[in-house]
Amino acid sequence: MADIQLRDLTKRYTDDVLAVDGIDLRIHDGEFLVLVGPSGCGKSTTLRTIAGLEDATDGTIEIGDSVVNDVSPKNREIAMVFQNYALYPHMTAAENMSFGMRSVSDFSAEEIERRVADAAETLGIEELLERKPKELSGGERQRVAIGRALVREPQVFLLDEPLSNLDAKLRVQMRAELLKLHRQLETTTVYVTHDQTEAMTLGDRVAVLNDGQLQQVASPQELYDFPENRFVAEFIGEPAMNVLPVELRATGHGLTAAHEGFTVELPGTTDRAALGADDRTVSFGVRPEDIALASSLPDGAATFTAEVTVTEPLGEQLLLHCRVGSAEIQVKVEPRSQVAVGESVTLGFDRERLHLFAADTGETLYHSARPKADPNGRAEQSHEPASSEGLAPEAEPTG
Amino acid sequence: MASQRKLYDSRLQAALLLLPTFVVLTAFLYYPGLATFRLSLYETLFLGQQTAWNGLGNFVALATSPAYRNSFVLSVVFAAVVVLGTLLVSLLIGYLLFDVGTRSSLYLVAAIWPYALPPAVAAILLSFLLHPNLGIVTHYLELVTPWTLDWFNDGPQALAVLAIIAVWKQLGYNIIFVVAALNNIPQTLTENARLDGVGRLRMLWRVYVPLISPTLLFLVVMNTIYAFFSTFPLVDLLTSGGPSGWTNLLIFKLYRDAFEFSNLGSASAQSVVLFVLVAVLMYVQIRVTDGYAQYGA
Repeated sequence: MADIQLRDLTKRYTDDVLAVDGIDLRIHDGEFLVLVGPSGCGKSTTLRTIAGLEDATDGTIEIGDSVVNDVSPKNREIAMVFQNYALYPHMTAAENMSFGMRSVSDFSAEEIERRVADAAETLGIEELLERKPKELSGGERQRVAIGRALVREPQVFLLDEPLSNLDAKLRVQMRAELLKLHRQLETTTVYVTHDQTEAMTLGDRVAVLNDGQLQQVASPQELYDFPENRFVAEFIGEPAMNVLPVELRATGHGLTAAHEGFTVELPGTTDRAALGADDRTVSFGVRPEDIALASSLPDGAATFTAEVTVTEPLGEQLLLHCRVGSAEIQVKVEPRSQVAVGESVTLGFDRERLHLFAADTGETLYHSARPKADPNGRAEQSHEPASSEGLAPEAEPTG
Repeated sequence: MASQRKLYDSRLQAALLLLPTFVVLTAFLYYPGLATFRLSLYETLFLGQQTAWNGLGNFVALATSPAYRNSFVLSVVFAAVVVLGTLLVSLLIGYLLFDVGTRSSLYLVAAIWPYALPPAVAAILLSFLLHPNLGIVTHYLELVTPWTLDWFNDGPQALAVLAIIAVWKQLGYNIIFVVAALNNIPQTLTENARLDGVGRLRMLWRVYVPLISPTLLFLVVMNTIYAFFSTFPLVDLLTSGGPSGWTNLLIFKLYRDAFEFSNLGSASAQSVVLFVLVAVLMYVQIRVTDGYAQYGA
């Protein structure tokens, strides 16, 4: 077991390509940390640099208490699982799992046999040990690949999109198995994925990367409820958060966000300076599920009208694409709501779930709910209209 | 058949389109082949103007001729050395080229270069470089080794020099295929081995060679054909079969019997033997190695 500390980690391929741009990140002992981001964001490069498959251009990588920048991959006490499994096609599952150990002289034959048997039992692949990869299904291959990582008994597991080659159903099943395995072994794990669902379901904490830079590290729920910037807000959540330009207006008791299609009070605000908004125009964010049809809102709630352009029944919910002024927003409503395309609907916001981002930098200016430090990362809604502390420009992640 | 498409308007048009290929194959492959088989059963005089039925007499004469048996054994040994030597050296060089991080295309061009040289030109150049008295290579080899190099007069040395040159000439062709095959192996296999600390040579023998075995099998077959048939210009220009028959390979001997000694019947019989020998060898190679070759994952 070991923790990992990245300090100012930078990876530059050529003068033009900066894959990883100064990442500072501490991965705690026994933690399951997910690196997530769009393709090309540097998440795989970060993982490969931790593994030693790439050299860091700058910064340090510590595993345990020692800096490992100049330690060869095999001596870093890590094991890695690849997206394409990377099994040797001419070897059986058992040979695949033991090849690495048989290649170095540190292990006795009995030790190797014991470890392979243990790993096979843990993963339930005892029956498959004598089969070659081409005789295995995708899920079985991935289990063997994980087994190969297990036999190394590493300090750290590195997984690079391990489920991306599996079909949807198997992916869900393997996700659960990975979680179970992690609970059983409690080995520090770094997991790279582009799939935000995987990131949310697997990670103790999730690190969001974009353009080689760390955007936010937080527990899944905190990431969802209190994104630190517009990128995280839009990247996490499916469908993405609606983000619209609004103008901030002062009223007698706080601020309102005015859009051509609606005006909404921002609970707990005082004035623009307190938000740190330099501009009058800011980006207003609200998730599709935090907008509702007026019929399901409490009486007296502020509403606005929008025109439905597309309806997408998702089964458990109905997704509406609506036109508000010149903007398009997505709204998740009750699955069996009677809404037709072209119809005008009356909508209202959940006042506890509004966000403001700076128009230029995308930094978060305001959440209408306030993040609460909580070990499970479940931030409570603690907003009280009278409180002047309702704004939280710097929602500090805690984990 | 739903997908039957008409590629031509009439049978006549189809036949016309096939005709050039057919004519060339018939004139230069099928007819000479059959004529050779026929001639191998005759005794001939003066480039075949006069022939007399000889049955299997030519083959019996070959089987009982010490000179031919010598040539046969030499050729098989020579081919074995050339086939395996080429494969081994090109595998090692190919692996280095695959493994090297920078300037790999430069090295690749350098390695393939000998293959681009016409055999006759290469033979002439090497005959100067390796000349026992005047050659610069021979000179320095004699300085740093205890040997005396005189392959003009020493039979085994001549055969060895010929084999080395034949290997060198064929390396480029093999290296292209080896490097291409190695580059087709998923990079994650290599990376996984790095994480496991698998040594490079162990990785080569235990992982890369099995994975590129289909390519290696192909190269064994191509090298066999090369060693038996395409080494003629090297023998002709470097040793002319000497000294005392030590480099008188089958392909060279049958050429001389046919066109220098005008014994077309015997030369045809030798052609048939060589053809059958190589065909059998290729069949055995393919049958034996097919069981080991790994096709796909």
